[in-house]
Amino acid sequence: MREFILLGVLAVTYLMVIAKRVPALIRGFRYQSFFIFLITLAAGYAERQVDLYAVALLILALKVFIIPRGLNLIAKKINVDENLGLFVSAQVSLIAALALTYCSMVFSETLGFGRDYRLAAVTVALSVIFIGAFLMISRMKAFTQVVGLLVMENGIFLFASFVSGGMPFFVEIAVFLDVFVSVIIMGLFIYRVNKLFTHIDVSKLSRLKG
Amino acid sequence: MRIFFILGIPILLALAAPLIKRQRVFGILNVIGYFVILCESALLLKKAVMSGGVNPRADFIYIDTLSAFFIFVISTVAFAAALYSVGYIRKDMEKGMLSEKKAVVYHVLFNLFCCSMFFVPAVNNLGILWVAIEMTTLISAFLVGFYNSKESVEAAWKYIIICSVGIIFALLGTILFSYAFSLAGGAKSLNWSVMAAGAAGMDKNILKAAFIFILVGYGTKAGIAPMHTWLPDAHSQAIAPISALLSGVLLKTAIYAILRFGIIVIKGAGFAYFSNLMILFGVISLVISCGFILVQKDLKRLLAYSSIEHVGIICVGFGLGAPLAVAGAALHVFNHAVVKSLMFFGAGNIVSAYNRHNMNTIRGVIRALPFTGIMMLLGMFALTGFPPFSIFISEILIIMAAFTSGSYLIAVLLLLFLAIIFGAFIYHFGEMLFGNLPKGMKPAGEPLSGKLAFLFLLFQACALGAALLFIKKDLLWITQKLLQG
Repeated sequence: MREFILLGVLAVTYLMVIAKRVPALIRGFRYQSFFIFLITLAAGYAERQVDLYAVALLILALKVFIIPRGLNLIAKKINVDENLGLFVSAQVSLIAALALTYCSMVFSETLGFGRDYRLAAVTVALSVIFIGAFLMISRMKAFTQVVGLLVMENGIFLFASFVSGGMPFFVEIAVFLDVFVSVIIMGLFIYRVNKLFTHIDVSKLSRLKG
Repeated sequence: MRIFFILGIPILLALAAPLIKRQRVFGILNVIGYFVILCESALLLKKAVMSGGVNPRADFIYIDTLSAFFIFVISTVAFAAALYSVGYIRKDMEKGMLSEKKAVVYHVLFNLFCCSMFFVPAVNNLGILWVAIEMTTLISAFLVGFYNSKESVEAAWKYIIICSVGIIFALLGTILFSYAFSLAGGAKSLNWSVMAAGAAGMDKNILKAAFIFILVGYGTKAGIAPMHTWLPDAHSQAIAPISALLSGVLLKTAIYAILRFGIIVIKGAGFAYFSNLMILFGVISLVISCGFILVQKDLKRLLAYSSIEHVGIICVGFGLGAPLAVAGAALHVFNHAVVKSLMFFGAGNIVSAYNRHNMNTIRGVIRALPFTGIMMLLGMFALTGFPPFSIFISEILIIMAAFTSGSYLIAVLLLLFLAIIFGAFIYHFGEMLFGNLPKGMKPAGEPLSGKLAFLFLLFQACALGAALLFIKKDLLWITQKLLQG
């Protein structure tokens, strides 16, 4: 079962790589967060820890419902065209994502994670992080940068829970709040950029040079 | 107990700002608050040095010499910035660039920003340290985009995105550190004091990989090249007092984080690894910033690139690791903070008088703004490492350490780039300060609070540096403890 959820995370991440429009990207993030919710719930059940249930609930509330809904709201409000503006085509992006997955596997082997479930888990977590970074640099719209950051954060969360059984509880909560605040602030800035520039195309933000 | 004053006063001030109707009055209250913080942090530093002092408080706060020193640096610049803000904000309000409402927002954000910076050296838990550093980014992004012009919003956007990504890698590194710690048989804890105690048994390979992530992650925030791309934009677009805080101390808080992890790496994986990486990134920062300083046209960007240069020098200093070099680097943290703030205050006055950033079109500052002009001239000599000023002392300490430890190449590189940058500064500033006044410009008055801020910083830049020269022996003894935790 847990292998299946892990595969789900990876599949949804690839789905986000080939997404060409804003709603598809946000939907991908929502699915990914849902899978992470399942993983945390399962871990909480296995280890009988109340902390983990609380964290799982937070994920469900923040990352599955509130943040995606907020992003959709901003997208609707600023009313720009929904294309993400791919610097590299979907096919090439997918190949890059596969390569990144391979690299993370090699990296997690060098870190000494054996050859069992743990290796697969850490590989998935690392590839989510790197693919998130890849999404941020290979798309033009400011939205992808926010979603990419959230994807990276999801990867970090997975990584922490597989590697060291999660961060201490209050650190976890602090990081969650921090991410939540940063998404709100980035949303505000997208709004401001759109108001001043009448677009949210990051590749055209080039007034400051040298 | 002192630390709670230092952390609490900014929060109280942030809460008080919306309650006070006249923001000019509040500005003065702000100055008083930060003066108290400055005194408290000086006492804290003294206590930490005298008692050799670790005093953990309920596991959450951890103050040793290193953190007390950084808190002192932050409070010095924060006090100067609060002082300078009084005149600067009043002027902006008179010009109609700021409404009373926006001045409230400014004061609230200023205090929150300072508070989040004070948290960074004070906390024990490395996860909370990460949160505190991310908070500094989020709060200061508003201060970078404060004027809401196209340039400033663009700078703020780049700042928030690049720093957030960078810092996510730092979180990855932090988790790897805790993984290495748990492999070595430690309890599930992110407390620095616990982890540093168990550093010797950690897996070397994991520590090395983790430190790379830390260095890239927090290095982005510290403005180490090649992760510095956001820095010139953000520092040049922020409001002048905030530019000073960003350049003077925000970069140093990230350096502090790197040092904290560095201490664990030194204990666990040997000194050579830490040293090589720090020196490598330091030299890259020097080279890249030197190139941009030579061709720079924008006054505030010039100063921002100079910050990258000085961060490079600091990295080289800590990387060399000899007591002399560490003393130099620690002093340099303080000296650069003080002098760079002075320069940004001056640049703020110049930009607001001339309404432009381009150095080719700013002429005759000494005549237009006599006080600022003279301060900028002195500040320029201080910044480029001219003898009576303290940056000279810290730079010469680092170079001496490089020579005595046999790293001749590094010493020569440092001297070479410092010489080139000195020439570039003379070239850029000569005409700007002494040229003919543009037609229609008249000498303008300068607010008293701004002048006081200049004098305060100048005092710190010379007198303190000279005083430190005489207590060099004690200094070495103190700094030997800095990298030992």
